[in-house]
Amino acid sequence: MKQKEPKNIFIRNAVSPAFIAESIGKHGEKTGIGAHSIFLGQVRADVIDNKTVTGIEYTAYEDMANQQMFLIREDIFEKYPITCMHVYHSLGRVGTGEICLFVFTSSPHRKPAIDACEETVERIKKELPVWGREIFADESYQWKKDN
Amino acid sequence: MSINVLIFGHLADITGKDSLQLRDFHDTDQLIDHLNNLFPSMKKARYACAVDQKIIRTNTQLREDSTVALLPPFSGG
Repeated sequence: MKQKEPKNIFIRNAVSPAFIAESIGKHGEKTGIGAHSIFLGQVRADVIDNKTVTGIEYTAYEDMANQQMFLIREDIFEKYPITCMHVYHSLGRVGTGEICLFVFTSSPHRKPAIDACEETVERIKKELPVWGREIFADESYQWKKDN
Repeated sequence: MSINVLIFGHLADITGKDSLQLRDFHDTDQLIDHLNNLFPSMKKARYACAVDQKIIRTNTQLREDSTVALLPPFSGG
């Protein structure tokens, strides 16, 4: 469904598997859908200078990010025949192995859902004012750079 | 004229603050010069600047209550 105004995409800490399952379940009544595509970003335990990442702490310019996500969404709906799209990004601390980004697109047939999901993820990474700080076991940190 | 400055990512480490209230700056060049004087490490930092949530590429006039955001390269997801 198209939205009329920006929606808050941010949730505190990790995206729980239960939340993702529930989100999938809610689509059961939309019987025009034939395909879902889901991207899940998970926090990796990178080793940097012999120190292991234990989590990422996310901050964002929330208003601008929500507004930009609204524009991305408009573009994607314009470009692909999708039925719906849901995006959630973590704020605050997310531990390694936990989910920090959940992008979910649905369409009658598979190709638009897959392509829309991929393009949305790429645009989120490039265009949303969100920053991750990789935290190590000793609580030291470095700002994430790998976009 | 009061200007709100929002500071994100590693720039907040450099300045030690995530926001500033400044007065009497009429454009973004003036404001950035001032910040470079206050925080010399900012000169080397790579970042974009947004005025009222729009990223700007050139010097931009500020108005009463403008919000200027300093945005290091994004690293979400």
